[in-house]
Amino acid sequence: MAFEPNEEQKVLKYDELRIYTDDELNNYTEEELKGFKCKHDIPDLEELEKGPWPSFVADCKREALHRRKLSDDRMLIERDVVEDMMGQLQVSFDEGETHWKHGGIVGVFGYGGGVIGRYSDLPEKFPSIAHFHTMRINQPASKFYSSDYLRCICDLWEYRGSGMMNMHGSTGDIICIGTFTEQLEPIFYELGHVLQQDLGGSGSNLRTPACCIGKARCEWSCIDTQDMCYELTHYYQDELHRPAFPYKFKFKFDGCPNGCVASIARSDMSFIGTWKDNIRIDQEAVQAYIGGEIAPNAGAHAGKDWGKFDIKKEVINVCPTKCMWMEDGKLMIDDKECTRCMHCINVMPRALKPGVETGVSILFGAKAPILDGAQMSLLTIPFMECEPPYENIKEIVEKIWEWWPEEGKNRERLGELIQRQGVSKLLEVLEIPPMPQMVKEPRSNPYIFWKEEDVPGGWDRDINDYRSRHAR
Amino acid sequence: MEDIKEAILAFAEKSKKSKFYFNDIQKAVQKVIPDAKARMIKKAATALINEEKLIYFSTGSSTMYGLKGRGQTEDH
Repeated sequence: MAFEPNEEQKVLKYDELRIYTDDELNNYTEEELKGFKCKHDIPDLEELEKGPWPSFVADCKREALHRRKLSDDRMLIERDVVEDMMGQLQVSFDEGETHWKHGGIVGVFGYGGGVIGRYSDLPEKFPSIAHFHTMRINQPASKFYSSDYLRCICDLWEYRGSGMMNMHGSTGDIICIGTFTEQLEPIFYELGHVLQQDLGGSGSNLRTPACCIGKARCEWSCIDTQDMCYELTHYYQDELHRPAFPYKFKFKFDGCPNGCVASIARSDMSFIGTWKDNIRIDQEAVQAYIGGEIAPNAGAHAGKDWGKFDIKKEVINVCPTKCMWMEDGKLMIDDKECTRCMHCINVMPRALKPGVETGVSILFGAKAPILDGAQMSLLTIPFMECEPPYENIKEIVEKIWEWWPEEGKNRERLGELIQRQGVSKLLEVLEIPPMPQMVKEPRSNPYIFWKEEDVPGGWDRDINDYRSRHAR
Repeated sequence: MEDIKEAILAFAEKSKKSKFYFNDIQKAVQKVIPDAKARMIKKAATALINEEKLIYFSTGSSTMYGLKGRGQTEDH
């Protein structure tokens, strides 16, 4: 059964929940900012402000000045937290080594993730950052939120934390950086009971699931990524908050093979929307593209004159499987050869659309390069139906979670286990046969070591005869 | 459940290390109670966390369990 919340999700109204007045939020002038001087000398940080891009140093200075001008009772941790952070960073630049100590037993009661302990190893010099813990907030699906929501989170973090945040972390969470241990539980209470938000994942947990904008705003989305992300986030709450895996585990949901959340590169289990029938072709719109009446790529490259649109040069000839051609003025596609590269659909969105029999491809084992280099996910299940409450998907998830925690070494990602034990073992766990549609990376199939019982009729081989001709 | 909790605490008290991965807990429990399933062991470990007998220790990237009061017990 799909998840139903126990209490209704409220619409957050900033005016009812705000902590600061407008005067407090806008408490300095641009003139004052120009004259701002950090309490520590930070020449190298100031150098970073001079480049062409917006700098975190400029943001930190604004925040430091803002905190300087708030009254004492309007912040529950030290006002100098931002200035001390900048001061310590300058020391690290000078000495070429970090002064952060990472990790610890901090957390909120009952949760094994969501809080990452951090401490300064120069607490006497920089007392305001003696504790500098990170809290991860589970972002709303597709990172859709209102400015009221953001303002509520920002006020809470200004009041009980440093006011410094990352929008968003690589996994998708809203990252609040810098608070003291005694603020963790009150923040968690406010988030859960007032703002109805939850912490995200960290440590050996299921990490915060992430999805693309999906059907909410994208006509290419073959699956409802937001619904799927929401359902699986709730269904696997225990795995998200109470760590018992060998290492991190990530789900990501892409609505189509364009892969806007890059699930194929960043998640242990990637879900990518796809279709199993044919690309829908509107031949009139094809002609309109050829005739120049509709701009290719929805006008995305209109800033420069690239010449007249040439369907042969820009679409047909660059199809990776050469499965398109023109016949009697019509665009033809040999759909069984299509590898869902999305190029033709991206170039001519009004003429070509994904098919209507939609579902999901499931891939396993992507990871960042801590051990053995970065790995892409292995396309293992080419097509699966994908409807709420996703029982068939949950069945696959649980097969993986029977195997990997049992066989995986400490700090071994799923991709590394697949590499160590082989793709055949993965297929055995999933109870699916090897298929030519399984793809390791573009233009390469996984290597399958066949066992005699897997091959009809088996095989006869006299090992002694073989060895008489091949030295060991 | 109670026997698994006891096995976890016995392992945590005997272990030379003050922090251990879940995998190590699981192996130790299954030595004593061979038919204990991972899910049950996790439930027992969670119960011990809630009873404040075990603690989580997280580096941010991976998580370990520890016996409360043993090894690093302060904030830092």
